[in-house]
Amino acid sequence: MRKAFGIMTVLASLFAAYAFAAEGVTTGPNGEKPVPAASLTLSAAQEQQIKDGKFTAALVWHEMSEYTNAVNAGARDEFKRLGIEVVAQTDAGFDAARQKADVETVMAKKPSIILSLPVDPATAASVYDPARQAGVKLGFVDNCPTGYKQGTDYVTIVSDDLFQMGNKAGIAMAEALGKKGKVGYIFHDADFYVTNQRDGAFKKTIEQDYPDMKIAAEAGMADPARSEDIAQAMITQHPDLDGIYVTWAEPALSVLSALRAAGNTHTKIVTLDLNEPAALDMVKGGNIAALVADEAYSIGVTLARASAGSLVGLKAEPFYAVDSIAVTKETVKDGWKKSLNKDVPATIADAMK
Amino acid sequence: MTSANTGTEVGSFVSRFNLQQYVVYLGFLAIFLFFAFMLSDSGFLTVRNLSNIVLQTAPVTIMAIGLVFVMSAGEIDLSIGSIVAVSALAAAVTIASYGMAAGIVAGLGAGILIGLINGALVAYVRLPSFLVTLATMGLFAGVSRSMTDLRSISVTNGAFTGFFGSGSLLGVPSLIWWTVIAIAAGHLVYRETRFGAHVLATGDNARAASVSGISVPKIRLAVLTISGGLAGLAGLLYAGRLQAAKYTLGETDLMTVIAAVIVGGTLLNGGKGSIVGALVGSLMMGMLNNGLILMGLSVSDQMIVRGLIILTAVAVSLRDKSR
Repeated sequence: MRKAFGIMTVLASLFAAYAFAAEGVTTGPNGEKPVPAASLTLSAAQEQQIKDGKFTAALVWHEMSEYTNAVNAGARDEFKRLGIEVVAQTDAGFDAARQKADVETVMAKKPSIILSLPVDPATAASVYDPARQAGVKLGFVDNCPTGYKQGTDYVTIVSDDLFQMGNKAGIAMAEALGKKGKVGYIFHDADFYVTNQRDGAFKKTIEQDYPDMKIAAEAGMADPARSEDIAQAMITQHPDLDGIYVTWAEPALSVLSALRAAGNTHTKIVTLDLNEPAALDMVKGGNIAALVADEAYSIGVTLARASAGSLVGLKAEPFYAVDSIAVTKETVKDGWKKSLNKDVPATIADAMK
Repeated sequence: MTSANTGTEVGSFVSRFNLQQYVVYLGFLAIFLFFAFMLSDSGFLTVRNLSNIVLQTAPVTIMAIGLVFVMSAGEIDLSIGSIVAVSALAAAVTIASYGMAAGIVAGLGAGILIGLINGALVAYVRLPSFLVTLATMGLFAGVSRSMTDLRSISVTNGAFTGFFGSGSLLGVPSLIWWTVIAIAAGHLVYRETRFGAHVLATGDNARAASVSGISVPKIRLAVLTISGGLAGLAGLLYAGRLQAAKYTLGETDLMTVIAAVIVGGTLLNGGKGSIVGALVGSLMMGMLNNGLILMGLSVSDQMIVRGLIILTAVAVSLRDKSR
């Protein structure tokens, strides 16, 4: 009886903790409700039908980075599993005009599917129209062309669970600081829904869930190249900060160098995305405490699966979100594998020995 | 006897046939045949794909014409990419409030104005064009970013987008018309007018040109203004084609334009050039992008192969035998 009561108490307190935790959900660019990416499956019959269809796909990326590489690898692996040949891959270098040319070019190979991340959603309709009009199944990462209708013009959008990423960053910061202390908050000062949601979720988590923690300094960053100046100013004005949140890994490296230059070893950094130099500092016991990463590889797998399914009549949900993971010194090996589907870089593996 | 004679004739023909002068055409042909053979079942040879290459390269071709004038006069214009963005945005914003004609004036005007600023600094303040346009490249990249606070602006005026980007006349897409007209006009001015001759004379030897009565500063002002104006036109073409303008337009074009011009037989230090060569160079760059994508190469491999081919083309066309 006492045992049962004990279990109930634990359950009740867990429930309470859940209920009081910062609430919020990631929504798609058009307010879509997220569906877990893991819920998307194909039946054996559907898979066979896809294999029999001898379909082809083209990957029209916005740019190539470690993140895009992981998405790309996930998509290619899933297409391979389903017997779909990838006939072309392009990199627009963040240039909408080049992305338009890329779509036109890959259309010469008459792909059944195009997976892409639109460089500029507001104007992307003119980029994808040649493919849409030809009946190509379009699958998008993160956002979609303004004016396009899900289900008719494109298959689905797959993205990170952005709120979860910011939330996990908040939790990781709290863990690193023993749930108390002063935090600096460097957010992305631009109208970009990916970073806006992640940053907002971090702030909300700290403010709502950790009464002994305080956001003591805030600074917006519009240009990553200026992040060192921003960090410099922040630690000059607030030398007693226990932790700094930085909107993503690249500017976090500038914050790290500002801290190093100031001889500061006690301020912890939590940031988003996996990055080799940042992870190296983390495993060496430096300022970086945690890196929250999305499962980029899963984005590619999910998008490829949904688009392939649509060729045999599968109705995809409008918006899928993949999970994220907080990578710390202890979990860096597994985290790397899970996020990027790659082994941790040799430098980091060596540093851990 | 007869055969020996023929042999000598062939030999003298080969020695007269200046390989370097035609390398861009031969290179173009070689790359075309290579892709046609390799990609025979991948849609490379379809009319749609080949016309796509011309459409996609139209803005680069237009900028290349301007750069042929600039480089023939012994100068350089690094600011063309930034001019594209400023012009496209100026046109897009103006069209939204004042209509098509005002938008064209604003877009071309912005390009010509920036060209005039470059030209005046080079010709009359006597600063090197490399440094002037390097500075204005950064300056106007900043201006384009701040013009609309990084936002992209849609262009919904159907007449404008038809005229500059997506329309066609007599079944021929408007971008092909623009390319043909600009190349014909550029070639005519470059080869058949006194101005063209003066540009070449200035690039060949500015002091000699000056002594023979050519106003070298005026030539320098003129070529940089032409380059600015044509970059402005390229901006309008981008805005028409994308039905939108953004600060990133043209950002990555500079190196492609320079490569097209040099592969096309224009000397980096002036005195010699070719408008038609620049067209072929530009088409060659477009064809390379297109063919390497259709071959299914990864993005990194595309970049490596493209670099190697351009290097080969430049090595053959620019190798200086006297060195």
